[in-house]
Amino acid sequence: MIEAITILVGFVIIASTAWLGPKSARIAAPLLLAGMLYIGGRAGWGQLTGVILAVGGGALAYFFAPLRVLRRVAFLVPSLVLLIYTTTLLMYRAPGNPFAGEKVADPQVEMALRAHYGVPKDATQFFFVYMHRLVVEGTLGPSIKVAGRSVEELIGPALPVSISIGLLALALACAIGLTLGVCAGLRPNSLADYGSMTLVLFGISLPNFVIGALFIIIFALKLGWLPVAGWGGYRHLIMPAFTLALPYAAYVARLARSGTLEVMQQDFIRTARAKGLPRNIIVLKHALKGSLLPVVSFLGPAAAGIMTGSFVVETLFGVPGIGQWFVKGAINRDYSVVLGTAIIYSGLITSFNLVVDLAYAWLDPRVRGTL
Amino acid sequence: MYRTLISVLLAFAFTLLLVGLTFSASLDAAPDYRFINGTEPKTLDPHLATGEPENRIISALFEGLTRYDPKTLEAAPGVAERWTLSSDLKTYTFHLRKNAVWSNGRPITAADFIYSWKRVLDPALGGEYAYILFPVQFAEAYNAYKSYAEAIRGPLKAKLAALIEKNDSIDAARWQKFLAEADAHGPLKATEQKVLRDLLTFKQGSLNREQLNAFSQGLDLEAKLLLEKNAEARQKLGKTAGFMAPDEHTFVVELKAPTPYFLEITSFYPSMPVPRFVIEQPGNDSDWFTPKKIVSNGPFLLKTWNVNERIRLNKNSTYWGHAEVRTNALDVLPTEQLTTSLNMYLTGEADWLTNNLYPSDLVQDLRRRADFHSGPALTVYYYRFNNKKKPFNDVRVRHALNLAVDRKLIVERVLGLGQLPAVSFVPPGMLGYDSPPSKIGLDLALARELLAQAGFPGGQGFPEVGILYNTNETHKKIAEVIADQLKRNLGVAAKAYNQEWQSYISTVRGQGYDIARAAWVGDYSDPNTFLDMWVTNGGNNQTGFSSPIYDQLIAYAGNLEPFLANPEGLLAHLKEPAMIRQELEGARAGSVAQKSAAWGKIRMQLMREAESILVQDEFPIMPIYFYVNSDLVNPRLRGFYSELEFRDGKRAPNFKGIHPLRDIWVEKGQP
Repeated sequence: MIEAITILVGFVIIASTAWLGPKSARIAAPLLLAGMLYIGGRAGWGQLTGVILAVGGGALAYFFAPLRVLRRVAFLVPSLVLLIYTTTLLMYRAPGNPFAGEKVADPQVEMALRAHYGVPKDATQFFFVYMHRLVVEGTLGPSIKVAGRSVEELIGPALPVSISIGLLALALACAIGLTLGVCAGLRPNSLADYGSMTLVLFGISLPNFVIGALFIIIFALKLGWLPVAGWGGYRHLIMPAFTLALPYAAYVARLARSGTLEVMQQDFIRTARAKGLPRNIIVLKHALKGSLLPVVSFLGPAAAGIMTGSFVVETLFGVPGIGQWFVKGAINRDYSVVLGTAIIYSGLITSFNLVVDLAYAWLDPRVRGTL
Repeated sequence: MYRTLISVLLAFAFTLLLVGLTFSASLDAAPDYRFINGTEPKTLDPHLATGEPENRIISALFEGLTRYDPKTLEAAPGVAERWTLSSDLKTYTFHLRKNAVWSNGRPITAADFIYSWKRVLDPALGGEYAYILFPVQFAEAYNAYKSYAEAIRGPLKAKLAALIEKNDSIDAARWQKFLAEADAHGPLKATEQKVLRDLLTFKQGSLNREQLNAFSQGLDLEAKLLLEKNAEARQKLGKTAGFMAPDEHTFVVELKAPTPYFLEITSFYPSMPVPRFVIEQPGNDSDWFTPKKIVSNGPFLLKTWNVNERIRLNKNSTYWGHAEVRTNALDVLPTEQLTTSLNMYLTGEADWLTNNLYPSDLVQDLRRRADFHSGPALTVYYYRFNNKKKPFNDVRVRHALNLAVDRKLIVERVLGLGQLPAVSFVPPGMLGYDSPPSKIGLDLALARELLAQAGFPGGQGFPEVGILYNTNETHKKIAEVIADQLKRNLGVAAKAYNQEWQSYISTVRGQGYDIARAAWVGDYSDPNTFLDMWVTNGGNNQTGFSSPIYDQLIAYAGNLEPFLANPEGLLAHLKEPAMIRQELEGARAGSVAQKSAAWGKIRMQLMREAESILVQDEFPIMPIYFYVNSDLVNPRLRGFYSELEFRDGKRAPNFKGIHPLRDIWVEKGQP
């Protein structure tokens, strides 16, 4: 009961950041940003760096950041806290706990383990322990299931791996999807249109482990151009990135197609054609921005999803990314790992939503005024 | 428009360049070879690890008193350069090498072993393999007696009090059930109080309140004795009893009784030394084995440990035997996906695919390859009968059921990994031991006749049998096939059902089953590890099987002295007494070597007699198949012995699946 009320209050607080006036946002956001930078800086490089980062970042935000961005930052911190709280509650609800099933017949040994890892039996207590550890010590905690490693040590090396595959996949998805979608949209009901959309259908329907397995069979086993699995060179990036990209490319293609169709109906396009502008200038200079709108709003959360890796793709290609920690943490009831990955995921989503908003403003002048 | 595009592309390219930093592999030198090890190791602390993947790596990083000779798996000198055995076969004296050092240059002394063995036996550490050192005097007292005493004083006494309160008397069957559910046998197994021993094995009649109270008082005394022994162990272990260090390079071990397989234990990783000076530094207790902190004494050093990516081991130039290590660097790859593992091997990205890490449906194709090595493993898959329940209490019924199962079919069609059908309990290949001829096999005519003799001709009147297995696809398949075979061959109706692991354990312990699936892995290559579980009321027996002669045979196999003092009593009951009689002379007198050999042979013969009770007379269990180790090994890897070669030309399968990394190397110039 108390938990439900707490969550409700949390939501209200978060929602209220949307109504922050310019003055309060300009004060609150830089403060929160400074706080986060201090914790992060101190954890990574020591007290002094933390302070420098905090002061510098806070000042930059105060003087230069547009209101939109400030509001987002103000939103980020309370939402992270609420996320940690809710996730903790849910984890404790799940049957089992990280110490069950071990050969721990002795309750004293379990108590000792719980004290060592900072995992009390009560969810709210764990929440406070975790937040205290995060803010005061700047660490995400020790992993309960992987001996001798803190969560940062596990996720730290894995994040760049997933992000690099994700970036490449994103670029590929955009390139392939936009090309297919815009071409299809420019020639509705033609062979190109139906052909592209059929390809898109395959991309959406085939599960990624099927696509991945096909790639492995063709490029690694039969042709021998690329390595089967593993991580250690640019060649290892290619197949995972393509496998991850194709479903997203399919979605992007569909959205681009409908966006293009809609834009090409607009009056200003007719004007441009009437003026006698060549086709490709019309498309590239005038229509493209409009057709990108639905794509961009899709890509925001999708980018976060791509960057955090896919469990299936990573296991299939033996890539040491962060996707597996999502699943392994949950299966093993490794609370600290689950929270760590949840924080990263939500951080990425919030950042990408911000980027999407800004991109929207750039693409569609009508939106700029509401900034 | 284009400028934005170009700037985006440039930023993107720059990021990809940074990505190159994550390619740690390109920063290290290329390894001599790579192998796929299975799951990511959970820990590299020798005293806390369990599991094959950890074993391989730990055995390359650390070295114990002895190590495994790669060709014979016998004990070869490790940290100890030589050792002697006392004439009563109970005391080992190990002489440590003077040039054995830790990787930071510090010499290894006997004090390191004292610290390490006390650490692995420390109950607070919770190491699962502590029991491996229990043959040592006072080891079990140090590790377990306190918790036994607490179990007796706490839950056991409480349950007993509740029982006494509710009942004036209790019949034997219920009493045994109570003992099983209350976990009474574990803490009381070594009790010397007659009243307790008699009541623990009470099988007929009923107990009155007076006896129960006597039992309760016996428990109080037992708890007291256990605590006293524990205190004595804590005081003496490492100093004056169990194991000691008379000087820096001498380590003396006192055993409870002659233990022929003790030198296997000193090669096995839980007995390996750990660096006290690293572990005891503040903050190190849970991550002292990570690459930045670890100090080890074995043939390899832990250079890199990228979780889920790879582990790099480099040759340790401070290792005393570094001249014999022909590998400079190797990569250990943790891969969980079976298909990916196999593909990596087939495309040459890995040179060795360890134990069974390929999809099982491909076994028929893989078996034909020249680089596929397989051999029996030290594990048996079997079914327990509830010897206490009708109709399984009739030996003819148990025999009949054993004869009606087609193991060959199961092994070939259901499993297909090249497992061996099992008609004995001890897996084959243990040196010096031959299983006795078995009366188990496929013989439908005899089976039907026995069943008829037992009063169930054609299966009529036979109650429906429940076959219990713990939830698992393969167990399910096998159970269903066997149920079907029993129906078709004997007319016995059987139904397979499953339970979650914990429930399954509890059902089997409480003997609430008809037939239950089980498996047993040998901890060391001595038949005793398979046979000592079947003693009356043994903790792992759980079938109700009891044979006084069997108990005697196992007890003597554990300690021959009382048998040698008066052999005739038992010899009269044995099937092959002549084999023992001819060794009695050498066992009583003679040099240490002769005595050792004779004791060994007598022990093996006693255990053979014990197993013959299982597979010729009583059939308390139904063995089904023996597991198989299989590896795919690139021919450029040398030093891999899937078959052991002994000096006298004898061969045996490498059923422990041990291939020390120290002795594997790559033949240069091979493709």
